[in-house]
Order: sequence, then structure tokens, then C-alpha cells
Amino acid sequence: MDFQLTEEQSFFKKTVADTIDKIVAPRSQEIDEKDEFPWELWKEFAKLGYLGLRYPEEIGGLNADKIMSMTFYEELARGSVGFAQSVIMNSLMGTYFIYRFGSDAIKERCLYPAIKGEKIATICFTEDQSGSDLGATRTLAVQDGEGWRINGTKMWITNGPICDFCTVLATTDPSKGLKGLNFFLVEKGTPGFSSGQIIHKLGCRGTVTGELVFDNVWVPYENLLGEEPGKGVFYVGDILDEVRLMTGSMALGIATGAYREALEFARKRVAFGQPIGNYQLIREKFADMDTIMNAARLMIYYGSWLLENNMDCRIVAAEAKMYATETCLKVVDELTRIYGANAFAYEYKSQRYFRDARFLLYGGGTHEVLKDFIGKAIIGKL
Amino acid sequence: MKILVFIKQVADTEARILIKSDKKSLEIENKYNMNFFDEFAVEEAIKIKEKSKETTVAVCTYGPKRAVEALRTAIAMGVDQAFLLENNNLNGDDPLITAKILAGFAKQEGFDFILCGRQAIDDESSNIGVMVAEFLGIPHVSSIMKLDIIDEKKALVESEIEGGRETIEVQLPALFTVQKGMNEPRVPLITGVMKAMKANIPFIDPYSLGLTREMIDTCAAKTNVLCYEAPQERPPVRIIEGNTPEEKVKGLITILKEEAKVL
Repeated sequence: MDFQLTEEQSFFKKTVADTIDKIVAPRSQEIDEKDEFPWELWKEFAKLGYLGLRYPEEIGGLNADKIMSMTFYEELARGSVGFAQSVIMNSLMGTYFIYRFGSDAIKERCLYPAIKGEKIATICFTEDQSGSDLGATRTLAVQDGEGWRINGTKMWITNGPICDFCTVLATTDPSKGLKGLNFFLVEKGTPGFSSGQIIHKLGCRGTVTGELVFDNVWVPYENLLGEEPGKGVFYVGDILDEVRLMTGSMALGIATGAYREALEFARKRVAFGQPIGNYQLIREKFADMDTIMNAARLMIYYGSWLLENNMDCRIVAAEAKMYATETCLKVVDELTRIYGANAFAYEYKSQRYFRDARFLLYGGGTHEVLKDFIGKAIIGKL
Repeated sequence: MKILVFIKQVADTEARILIKSDKKSLEIENKYNMNFFDEFAVEEAIKIKEKSKETTVAVCTYGPKRAVEALRTAIAMGVDQAFLLENNNLNGDDPLITAKILAGFAKQEGFDFILCGRQAIDDESSNIGVMVAEFLGIPHVSSIMKLDIIDEKKALVESEIEGGRETIEVQLPALFTVQKGMNEPRVPLITGVMKAMKANIPFIDPYSLGLTREMIDTCAAKTNVLCYEAPQERPPVRIIEGNTPEEKVKGLITILKEEAKVL
């Protein structure tokens, strides 16, 4: 069993980390303070070509393996969570179903420009009454002539208010619950499609998150992203493991950034005549943090390896997401304790890690839902 | 036109470096980068190559196996080839030996001109480029800030001197050491990174360059590290207390007057 990254993967990780340190991290404080989408950074970053990382070379991607993709998500989040969310939406969730099921014309209009950063993508799952409970989706798509008519409102949509197109989850048959779900493509400019309220968030600032409204939106048949109606829930399963591992990787990135801040502070901050890093209880904190971060990293890499090799990773991906998130929350908490009262001031970075980490509890599934899923998968049907 | 660039892999500026108990060697945290000044040399070579299709850029380093990473970074930026002159069982620190090996490689590989950083940020010896030029019998200009290749035989350079800049016309082949600020080293595109990941980088034995044991073995070193000493420890950071900026400023002035005695 070889636990090392390959030479290629190590080089990739270092290069991505250096790139993030050069062009993203220095702007992270400003992105958080202004809470505006950083268009200039977006253009500069898009030129580097990372947005197509996971897609095949034939369509302008880079055919990266899953470890490399997870490394990318981790380093992005370490640099700026707000920016990372928008980038990852374009690189993964916002474009995946277009890649899988979009016609050539749809791919030309949406996918290829999105992975060049020329268009902004998003995916719409959540509604005010349905987050984890996808079966409660109310956004309805009804056949109308040579297409579909969609009505509903989606919430908590990352990139929503600035998107050029979205993949929207809608039901074609509410009586069937999960089996009535489908994905549709809706593009900006389609009559009835508009942006609603913007949500001002505790963390992940810089990413624009809000409501999307579908008011009698008509789309042609080809905009159904799937082989036939009713298969949406199965397609979600295809990407869910990757999304969970991605969220875990972001958790690892935030934790790593927070950990490094804590380490630097512990080495420099003097109390009672010596650096606080000399005190046992501070050392204990680092021992605990390093232990759980190493464990989280191994779980993420294991899940990524399973996914890369097309092996069943549903349980490991869910566990990795949960564990990495709880690890991150522990690490950012310890950072604020090590910082003392300074952690309570906006001028120090510690408060940003603390705020940004909270979103991890919701993205990729709440832990209450995940635990139930894992327990059910392990125990089986009784 | 063929441009040769010398680079060095050095410890990251944030790597922890400890002096070992024998005081003659260092324990360096495993974080390394391409030498800061060499990045400008690589960038300048690539910029020249981009202006002319017939120009190629080769980069080489004399160092341990891990230095391959620095070479990959250069490939990711856009150089065409990279070579590692492996310092297996050879002295890796003496500037004279390093210069002989690099010169040996340059002679074998061929070049129209050579670029390298003005100095390495670890030992700051600032003499390897110049010594290589002497071994090769070619002109050199140090600390250049601007480089115009007129044709295959001539270049015009601006180099930094005290109080200004000097413009010099130089016959090629020549060697130029590059000063920081000459350009803005590019962030590699992902396509470059992927290419670098897959690149085959030959490892070259310095003895295969027509160099003898007497020329490059440890006995040939002209420098010998007697000991390392840590710089004087800076006093710990002190955070000025105060509830308002005004209070903090008053506290700082008091300290500067009464403790540091600089006001």
C-alpha cells in the first residue's frame, strides 16, 4: 500500500498551492470585507485553465484524476472560501449535467465557455421547504408543446444572481416523490427566469448567493438533462460522492489555513516571558489538531482513490465529508482560543476561518442526514 | 537561437531552518522553491522565445534529486527542456565546483546565451554565473534589468549600477545574471503544469561532462564551511495594548521614548 502522492501529484499540489498563494490568498481579506464577486480575479484565474480540471482534454479540460481534483479544491478553499465556492460551482456541480447530458449545441453555448470562465454556471437544488429532503421539491416542470414549462423558486443558489445558466432540479410528477425528479437547463435571458433576493451570509463572502425564480419559464425538450423524465435522482447519486469528497477537501483546506495561522501565532505570541507554544496545553492543541487533520486527509484520499477506481465509496465519501468538516470546525475553534481576545476582532484572519467553516455543515448534506444514511447503509434493510 | 538558463532549488523563505548540533550542517524543513532571482531569468528566456519560433529554452540545475521539482516549475512556465546535473556524492555547496559543472554542461549542450539569477537567496554567493562565464571564455554582464537581442551575434543590455543603469552592447555568446524586477514571472497555466508533470527530465552525471575528479570532487572546493551561527535572536513581538487606536499610539510612543529610547 503506497500512501505517498505520486511525484506528479506532489508537483501538482505544490504548484496549485503556490498559484493560490500568489494570486488568490492576498485578496482573500478584501473579498471577505467587500462581499462582492471578484470579477477581476475571476478573469485572471480563469485564464490559468483550472476550471476545466476534471473534464476530458477533448473538450478543453485536463483529465485530472480525483486526487488532483480534491487537491485543487483544498488549496482553493485554503486561499479564499468565498472565491473557491464560485470556482468549484463552475468546475463541478454547475457544469456536470451539461457535460453528461447536454446536446452538442448546449455544450457549445454553456459548457465550453463555463470551463473557460466566460460564463458563470450554477445548480439549483434547494427550496425554502426542501434542502436535504429532495423528495419535497416543489419546482414543477410540465410538458408544454415541444418543451417544458417550469415554475418554482430556488434558494441558497451559489452564483445564482450572476449566473449565465443553471441546472435546475424540478419534478415532473410530484406523486412519485424522488422518482419524479429531473434536471433542466435554463439560460439567462429566458423569459420568466430571474434572480430574486440575495442572501447576505455569515461566511463565504464574495460568492453571490441568492434566490432564482422560475415564472412560467419555457424550455425546449433538449433542455431536459437526462435520458428520460424521472431519472434525476439516480443522476444525483452519480455526482454526490464527488461533491461530498469535494466538501471534505474544502474543509481540509480551511483547516490547514487556520492551523498554519495558529502555529505562527503560537510561535510568536509571548505570555509570561515566553512564546505560548512552549506551554503544554497549547502543545496539546496542536497534537490534537494534527492528529485529526491527518486522519481527515487520509479519509479524503481513500475516498478519492475509491472513486477514481470506480469502486463503491458512498459510505466512505459521506464519512470523509463529516469527519473532515468536524475536524475543520474543531481546528478553527482552537485557532480562536489560541488567538485569545484577538480572535474577536475583524482585523485578524482567525474570525474569517471561524465564519467560513460553518457552511461546511450544510454543503454536501447535513451530518444528521449523513449519519442516518451511513447507519442505514451499514445495517441494511430490516 | 538557443537560450540556456541556470536555476537553483533553494529552501522556501518560510521553511524552518535549524543549525544541527555539529554547527556545520543545517536541518531544513522540506519546503523548497526555485530561487527567487532565477524566476526572472526563466521568465525572460520564455518571453524571448515567444517572440521567435526558432528560439528554444533549456534549463538546468546542479543539485540533488529533489531539485527536479524546480525544473518542473520551469517547464510549467514554458521552457522546452530541463536537465538535472545530479550532485550525488559530490560537493553541492562550493560555488567553484558548481560553476565548473554548469560550464561543462553548457559547453556540451551548446547555447547562444545564458541567463541565471543574480544570486541564490540561500548562500548569496553571487558569483556562480560570473565564474561560469569565465570558464566558458564568454563576456558577462551582471544584474541586468533589460535585454534586447539584436541578432544572433549581438545583444543590448541595461544593468543596474549604483545610482542608475548602464547600457552595454554585448557580443554573443554571453552570460547575463538577472536582477529582480526585470519582469513579472508568470503563474503557470494548468496546461503547462500538466506538461511539466509528465516531462521526462534526464539526470546527468557531472563526470560525463568531461570533468575529472580533481576538478569537481570535494578536494577541489575552494570554500569550506567552518560553522553556522544563528542570527541574533530578535526580541519577541510585543503587541501594544489599548482599547482605541489613540491609546495604542500613546502606549507605543511611551515605549519608544522610555524603553527603546529612539524618540
